[in-house]
Amino acid sequence: MSIRTLLIDDERLARVELKKLLKDHPSIEVVDEAANVTDALDKIDRWRPDLIFLDIQMPGKTGFDLLAELDSAPQVIFTTAYHEYALKAFEANALDYLLKPIDPVRLADAIQKVQQLEAVRLVHGVEEGLPRGMLSENDQVFVKDGYRCWFVKLNEIRFFESVGNYARVFFGSNNPMILKSLNALEDRLDPKLFFRTNRKHIVNLRMIEKVEPYFNGGLLLELKGGDKIEVSRRQTLRFKAMMSL
Amino acid sequence: MLLFANVFDVLLAPGVLERRILIFCLIGFSLTHLTRLVIKKLGLLKLPMERAWPGLLFSIFICNGFNALFTLLAFEYFQLFLSPKAYMLSFSQKWLAIFLDNGFFILSWSLLYFVFHYYYQNRQRELDTLKLKTAVRELELKTLKTHINPHFIFNSLNSIRALVDLNPARARQAITELSNLLRNSLETEKAQLVPLRQEMDIIRDYLDLESIRFEDRLHVEYAIAEDTLDLPVPPMMVQTLVENAIKHGVNPRVQGGWARISSFRKEGAHVLEVANSGCLNSAVVAAGFGLSNTKSRLQILFGTTARLFICQKEKDMVLCTVTIPLNKQL
Repeated sequence: MSIRTLLIDDERLARVELKKLLKDHPSIEVVDEAANVTDALDKIDRWRPDLIFLDIQMPGKTGFDLLAELDSAPQVIFTTAYHEYALKAFEANALDYLLKPIDPVRLADAIQKVQQLEAVRLVHGVEEGLPRGMLSENDQVFVKDGYRCWFVKLNEIRFFESVGNYARVFFGSNNPMILKSLNALEDRLDPKLFFRTNRKHIVNLRMIEKVEPYFNGGLLLELKGGDKIEVSRRQTLRFKAMMSL
Repeated sequence: MLLFANVFDVLLAPGVLERRILIFCLIGFSLTHLTRLVIKKLGLLKLPMERAWPGLLFSIFICNGFNALFTLLAFEYFQLFLSPKAYMLSFSQKWLAIFLDNGFFILSWSLLYFVFHYYYQNRQRELDTLKLKTAVRELELKTLKTHINPHFIFNSLNSIRALVDLNPARARQAITELSNLLRNSLETEKAQLVPLRQEMDIIRDYLDLESIRFEDRLHVEYAIAEDTLDLPVPPMMVQTLVENAIKHGVNPRVQGGWARISSFRKEGAHVLEVANSGCLNSAVVAAGFGLSNTKSRLQILFGTTARLFICQKEKDMVLCTVTIPLNKQL
């Protein structure tokens, strides 16, 4: 089982050094390198890597900006020259970062962790049958709102709410904003898992606790955590059809 | 005023007045001192005046109460009352009389003390703020002199590690350059002024290291006139400007950029210029603690005709100019 890996760092020598260190880890297959965010977005799209090594400080856009632009984030190991305050912005996420110059022992630990997560993902085999570009429930998305950042698994999300051209993601006790429209999200989400209940909401079907009839032949869904979301009349038919399957 | 009324009303037995005054002073001094200790213990004086005064007034009141009581007991014991009428008053009446009598003195005495105390405290506080300000300023200057960006150090070390295999000679040279920079930044006891030659050595080391990291993204030019190499400059000043040039003019740009350092004599002044690619961001200039600090440092050293000036010279060129008058140099 080889882990397809992309290295992202603006300094060529830093990439050279990292590649050299990775030679000791045959499970890591470096598919390509990128020197800035635009370049990296291209190459992530082309190679669909399992893992990226990501420098935070890069010219133009930072590593965080890169993650925020991805639909689904691969596994990430941050590399940075100095303890970034930005890294502390992460909310209790198990997330690895390596300080440059990289300590080979710490690198081995980080890779081992990635391998374990990768193994779990393969056992679940959730990605079967999903068309390219579709997000499965075990995919994670990177969410950045102001200074706070999260990696969120799709199955932890209760619902999305449209706010103008953007959307708010509700998970745990947080509801940060993401720079994607609800329509764009709907296209990428697995319809077996997420359902568009009305113009403003997309709901995680596994989070539904209760279904009640509502005005005009619509439905009212009560989600885990107590949120109540209306299903419009038009969508109610589809919802019932889906649920009776 | 019962005290005075009695004093001048009555023919006194010899020594009575003296003894009365002695007792009054003894008890008064010891009790006001005791009160002061209590007030200090309670921390009343550390409160702002608006909040402290009820407590202070109350403690003066209590102090005076005890004062009257002890004075009364002493007068009874030594038979020091002035008129026979006084012996006919009840105990509490006598106490009240002395309370009012002495209260006047104790109150004025205490007020005097508090006024003095608050005046002194205010002055002390002003002095402390001033001292703190100077300390902060010194610290700021010191960090400016010795500052070296940790990002830069670790990124450099990382590149050097890669160079060890790729280009061992360059790696060795880079280690020397980094050592020079580190040594220089660790020497906290620095001279106020150093010759430009010395400053340029540091800048060359620094830019060489940055070139390793940036590779073809960084282009550096020097235009240093020979006759300026021995002129004195504040240590780390040009270095800080160069660092800023890299940080704002080269680092954020994907395609990279350039920096040019010039030094020449012009119209009786020494002119140092640091130019770089990019656009001047007014927010950066306004927030830049380094620039205003550098400016004041220059003016302290060379007088008010010394200048630091930063502008958008061309569409893609930011120019920072330092002008040091030659005749006024120390």
